[in-house]
Amino acid sequence: MSHSYNAETYAAAKKEIWKITWILSALTIVELAMGFWMYFSHGTMSSSMVMFLKGTILILMMVKAFYIVSYFMHLKHEIKNMIMTIVVPLLLFVWFITSFLYEGNSYKSLKNRYDKHLQEQTTIKVEEKHHSEAEHEKTAEPATEESSHH
Amino acid sequence: MSTTAVHNTKWWSGGKSPFNLEYGKVMMWYFLMSDAFTFGAFLIAYGTSRFATNGWPDPNHVFSSYPFKAEGSAAAPLVFVSFMTFVLIVSSVTMVLAVQAGHHQDKKGVVRNLILTIIGGAIFLGCQAWEWTHLHAEGAWWGLNPFTNADGTHATTNFTNFFFTITGFHGFHVFSGVIINIVMLIMTLNNTFEKKGHYLMIEKAGLYWHFVDLVWVFVFTLFYLV
Amino acid sequence: MITEAVLHNHDVRGHDVHSEDHHEHHHHETFISKYVFSMDHKMIAKQFLITGMVWAIVGGLMSVLFRLQLGYPNESFPWLEDLLGKWWAEKGHITPQAYYALVTTHGTVLVFFVLTAGLSGTFANFLIPLQIGARDMASPFMNMLSYWFFFLAGVVMMCSIFVENGPFSGGWTAYPPLSALGDASPGSKTGMDLWLTSMSLFIISSLLGGLNYIATVLNMRTKGMSMTRLPLTIWALFFTAVLGVLSFPVLLSGCVLLIFDRNFGTSFYLSDLFVNGVGALPNEGGSAILFQHLFWFLGHPEVYIILLPAMGMVSEILSVNSRKPIFGYMAMVGSLFAIAILAFLVWAHHMFVTGLNPFLGSVFVLLTLLIAVPSAIKVFNWLTTLWKGSIRFTPAMMFAIGFVSLFISGGLTGIWLGNSALDIHLHDTYFVVAHFHIVMGVASMFGMFAGIYHWFPKMYGKYLNNTLGYIHFWATIVGAYLIFWPMHYQGLAGMPRRYYDFSNWESFKDSASINAFLSTIAMIVFMVQLLFLFNFFYSIFKGRKVTTKNPWESNTLEWTTPINPGHGNWPGEIPEVHRWAYDYGKDGKEFIPQDVPLGHDESQH
Repeated sequence: MSHSYNAETYAAAKKEIWKITWILSALTIVELAMGFWMYFSHGTMSSSMVMFLKGTILILMMVKAFYIVSYFMHLKHEIKNMIMTIVVPLLLFVWFITSFLYEGNSYKSLKNRYDKHLQEQTTIKVEEKHHSEAEHEKTAEPATEESSHH
Repeated sequence: MSTTAVHNTKWWSGGKSPFNLEYGKVMMWYFLMSDAFTFGAFLIAYGTSRFATNGWPDPNHVFSSYPFKAEGSAAAPLVFVSFMTFVLIVSSVTMVLAVQAGHHQDKKGVVRNLILTIIGGAIFLGCQAWEWTHLHAEGAWWGLNPFTNADGTHATTNFTNFFFTITGFHGFHVFSGVIINIVMLIMTLNNTFEKKGHYLMIEKAGLYWHFVDLVWVFVFTLFYLV
Repeated sequence: MITEAVLHNHDVRGHDVHSEDHHEHHHHETFISKYVFSMDHKMIAKQFLITGMVWAIVGGLMSVLFRLQLGYPNESFPWLEDLLGKWWAEKGHITPQAYYALVTTHGTVLVFFVLTAGLSGTFANFLIPLQIGARDMASPFMNMLSYWFFFLAGVVMMCSIFVENGPFSGGWTAYPPLSALGDASPGSKTGMDLWLTSMSLFIISSLLGGLNYIATVLNMRTKGMSMTRLPLTIWALFFTAVLGVLSFPVLLSGCVLLIFDRNFGTSFYLSDLFVNGVGALPNEGGSAILFQHLFWFLGHPEVYIILLPAMGMVSEILSVNSRKPIFGYMAMVGSLFAIAILAFLVWAHHMFVTGLNPFLGSVFVLLTLLIAVPSAIKVFNWLTTLWKGSIRFTPAMMFAIGFVSLFISGGLTGIWLGNSALDIHLHDTYFVVAHFHIVMGVASMFGMFAGIYHWFPKMYGKYLNNTLGYIHFWATIVGAYLIFWPMHYQGLAGMPRRYYDFSNWESFKDSASINAFLSTIAMIVFMVQLLFLFNFFYSIFKGRKVTTKNPWESNTLEWTTPINPGHGNWPGEIPEVHRWAYDYGKDGKEFIPQDVPLGHDESQH
């Protein structure tokens, strides 16, 4: 039965693939543009604007994921039963993400409230400690040694 | 076969697949669901740690180099990783072209596109190897973080810890995907699928490869962009 | 759309070709291919069952040893040192490090090896193809791998018992920093590495098995076997597999991060701690609670992975032996589904007092208490299935009724523990120990026993001895209640779990006699299980032969196969299904098997 394919459907399928490729590329370019925008206006951009751009990037990420799953992975062309059994369990991620991030944030505020020393530490500016190769070997040694008897 | 015939079928009544799919593909899908939870757990753990920490390094500052960059030339954030992203997207495209070629019993098309996919995967792995080496030379590794937070304060090592663990786990998936694709290529060249009469195996390999691409969409955004 | 229809058609053919493959298999079989690397789902089921039994004995024996310490802390048993050596039992006393090693390994082994692999591994493998009308699993090869990965996990776990510093001893939940720092305790060294290796192998095994169960239930049902005609066993095993496939990977991630913390100097779970004998750690920024979240994201569904198969089998056995249709079939399926969903939403109720955000905790209280609804639906449906039935009190039926009793007793205390305010008092006490042992441990064990007694004739073509079965049942249920009921009071009185010796505390001195009593009963109950094992192995060889295809006069498809089915299950065509599995007492007929076509004016279910 699979032989009943013809050149027409083959061409149509290829056309769809290239269309999706352009959409994915365009979305990535938009994401990158936002990334550069944030980078070049560093420090001058208001934090709410940064939040807005980051939020937009996350939404675009979901859109890209949708296109990859629907078209490249062909899910959109499967029958509805199949689509539902994939999409419905993914809804579990909503609560998975919400509660974990909420919990992380709460952990930070609790620490900052009760561990004043830690909070002070995180306001002191420090130098970056870039190493040359040789120096790096030296600093890496004790760290690996310590971890080895954990 | 018309649209109505598809819709009137009693999919769940037994004696056939309710999804009109062979069991192998159903299994592959659920395996990928399972793997999505593995990656999901990693990324959510990363997010949780980030939310639990005061300050975080600026990715534009950390990932601002690229191969053959002249000493003292301007930092160029996002350039290299954009290249990696495009390589992976394009390899996903060639993979789906290989799958389509398989549907149409076009052996030549399968071979050509599989080779392109394998090359794309290899380039991606090469880029990742370069980036890891570069960061390692800068003093970054598991348990070592030379970078400060974006506001210049002291950063914990969890930035590098999560970066190496998650990109490493993703790289491992890319690597196994390349191996699977090489096996598929050999099987195609040996006419294994030609004899079977269908290229369903390539579809399953394709699903896996697209999933790897999908995960990169998330890793790319969450580590390099936001 | 035209493309799709065509495209999909050739896929289905793959499925047919596959099932025909199995006709040919069972001619040339060697000992190795029949009993060791078998690809027959029935043999793999028996492998899972017997391996599970071995682990049940090991795990049970461990509980006997630590109950010995808890019940008789001041007695000395010199023969223990002769038997186990100095590390485990110096001067006839179980040593503290051995006590913690025993408690940890007991938990890990019972939860994962016995009640996960031994229970759903056995019955999913055995019942899915037989009850849905398939010749074997979707992928018999992956099925075989699943068993051998489980076997390897067991080998590694067994090895960990014999290493120099003993097996892991930080509790089956493996919380860091105890599990992340080798210097924290003897068991956190090699023992923990082996524990993690064993768990990783086990996760692979459960993934291979779970994918197979899901694909088989969805794709391989025989003609006419729609989802709503499936026996409840299959529904339960299906949801179990879904739970496993979606939750075990999260444990894998948590374990991978733990491995990095242990070996590669990362700080995912570690922060600036001070360890006795080591000093201040260089780590910073990690959160131990993160591991608990990841662990319990698996850990809570795991509880239902253990419980659901038991629920499914009990539903089936209650209906068959009451000679009545199961009450509220769709409500049963719906409540299984609801439990499967809720299982993923409630994990943090294991963490109310760990520093979890209290507001988040209150949301988890709400979600947790919601589980009471589907659980109550199930309980009422079991009771109404029994109501006015002509009950046959076979040993399987006794255990099924026992399951319902235990599920009620253990479930009610769950409502207490689900409240974060009550948990402030009750957490980490013997109340918790009593709760989860009754509702998850003993209840699921009862489900498993019910399943073994009921399907033993199908597995081996022999009957188990009934008298021994009744002794086994009564001793076990009375013993289980005698052991765990008093523990509730101990917990309410504030007695903490995981303590090595209570005799040093003025407030717990009164409990010494209760502890001695509990330990004595625990040993008796353990002995009774050996009686069951004797019954099991004796009956395989010398049991009364099954002479009829359908000894329980049951409706499901496995009883339409020959008494000793070969690989492929049905010698001829696979029967077609015309009705649901619960036509008992319909139209004056005692039972109507699923493959009997509908009569003229018979209403369809």
